[in-house]
Amino acid sequence: MKILVSLKQVPHQDARLDVNADGSWIKEDGIKFEINSYDTFALEEALRAKDADPATEVVVASIGPERVTQALRTALGMGADRAVHVKDAAVDGSDALGIAKLLAAIAKEVGPDLVLMGLMSDDSNASAVPPMLAELMGIPHATAVVKVEKKDGGVRVERELEGGALEVVDLPQPCLLAVQTGLNQVRYASLKGIMAAKKKPIDVKTAEALGLGGKVGKAAAKVRIQKIYPPPKGEGAEILSGSADEVVTKLVGKIKELGLL
Amino acid sequence: MGSILVVAEIQKGTIREASYELVSFAKKLGGDVRSLVIGSGIAGEAEAFAKRGGGKVYVADDPALANYNVDGWARAIRAAADAAGADVVLISNTPSGWDVAPRLAAALDAAFVSDAFDARPGPVFVRRIFNGKLDAEVAPAGGKAVVTVQPGATAAFDGTSEGSTEKLAVDLSGLRAKFVETKVAEAKGVDLTKAEIIVSGGRGVGAPEKFPEVIQPLADALGGAMGASRPVVDAGWLPHEYQVGSSGQVVTPKLYIACGISGAIQHLVGMKGSNFIIAINKDADAPIFEVAQLGVVGDLFEIVPKLTAAVKTAKG
Repeated sequence: MKILVSLKQVPHQDARLDVNADGSWIKEDGIKFEINSYDTFALEEALRAKDADPATEVVVASIGPERVTQALRTALGMGADRAVHVKDAAVDGSDALGIAKLLAAIAKEVGPDLVLMGLMSDDSNASAVPPMLAELMGIPHATAVVKVEKKDGGVRVERELEGGALEVVDLPQPCLLAVQTGLNQVRYASLKGIMAAKKKPIDVKTAEALGLGGKVGKAAAKVRIQKIYPPPKGEGAEILSGSADEVVTKLVGKIKELGLL
Repeated sequence: MGSILVVAEIQKGTIREASYELVSFAKKLGGDVRSLVIGSGIAGEAEAFAKRGGGKVYVADDPALANYNVDGWARAIRAAADAAGADVVLISNTPSGWDVAPRLAAALDAAFVSDAFDARPGPVFVRRIFNGKLDAEVAPAGGKAVVTVQPGATAAFDGTSEGSTEKLAVDLSGLRAKFVETKVAEAKGVDLTKAEIIVSGGRGVGAPEKFPEVIQPLADALGGAMGASRPVVDAGWLPHEYQVGSSGQVVTPKLYIACGISGAIQHLVGMKGSNFIIAINKDADAPIFEVAQLGVVGDLFEIVPKLTAAVKTAKG
């Protein structure tokens, strides 16, 4: 069994976000990056399949600049076997479909039985790439997956619906699963794992090498970000000022006023 | 602008509210609104929708479409988009909508916009990014666009339309995913929907042991219940029954105190109907302060224990 996991490196969830000069994206200088939270659950699910059957090969793929190497090294340290890194300034500004095309080209080389991804990214929040990739690969998919089990040569998954309901679906393999957070408990890379990861290969690729020269990147994007900005402030909360004791006195006063004390 | 295809969704036998919101959303763009209704035994619903904003309604009515199936949905929407000559396809950002829409966009080699909450002619779509911290205005570079729309963000259309229905032929052979069953939400050990006061903790609480040490005592002092945001439950710090949000419990207490919760949209959906909201967070830009009436920008580990003590004193 071969599993492909895609990882996106995103700004750390506590990073201070400032809009860049032309308003097209955030300033990335000096920001700490991390593996997209949803993707860590996808990687963990793949590593659990490998724990259960050591013959499983887990290949991780990521698209982005040099800093992405760190995310791939972390994944290799956690137990992935090898990595593919699309490092090419020509892919900057790709939309979700461009990213899906790059991943589809990687998938064609890897030939996975299963593709695991996060449901969405913590930066774009779009949930776009996984179903697009499945379509380009010509395989079925399911999103918001909270449980995966093997079933008759395929998988049986539970999808999260609204209000805590679940949809149970059977999919033949190969297939692609976009997982929800909380699917499992994500492991940390061990020191031994980190040492072993240094010897594991990271295959660096360009769009050209994947047969997508000129077909991805900003110019090929079918959707463009015109500008980003902090959400307009509404009335918002009255922010209490003063020392902690003063603030607490005001809070207690309010709770009394509400008739709850 | 050519025509806009609204993909209406059937839930428990009727067209859901979000589908009428799509009609309003389509009218913001300007253009001829046409619709698609997908399901089994839905001719009556399609007829009604045609007169309540749907306009010309294509009907994909087949027992194989009784439950959501990505291949079936994608084929039906594609057939309707072709028949309608649609430039824009609007789909609600629901579990079936977000599942099928990007797949359809890839099949059509079209622009895809996810979870838009506003739009204007152009078209330009507005969506929230970075878990609610920023907004983005995005525009298709040309050609067709598939757009998912945030439920609840647009007023539902309640006017009428000159409508008609047309049965759509959809090839439903060889559907790959097989629907097995829907499991309804299990009965909760912790029923937050009945609590008058809820004190919830988020990622900012930092560690599982801090919930019984810091959050629960305030809930107890107030005679309320403890809740949590999704990351807390995902990390295994508290069981799912404590989760407030779109995938947990939707609550409307008299008082909701959010501690260390930044306010991702899926959490806000679950608690913004509370009568009064107090937010305590160290990040002054946290979206939670937009829905709260009273806010404290500060360290919850300093504020919450003092508040617990003060509440106990006030109660005597």
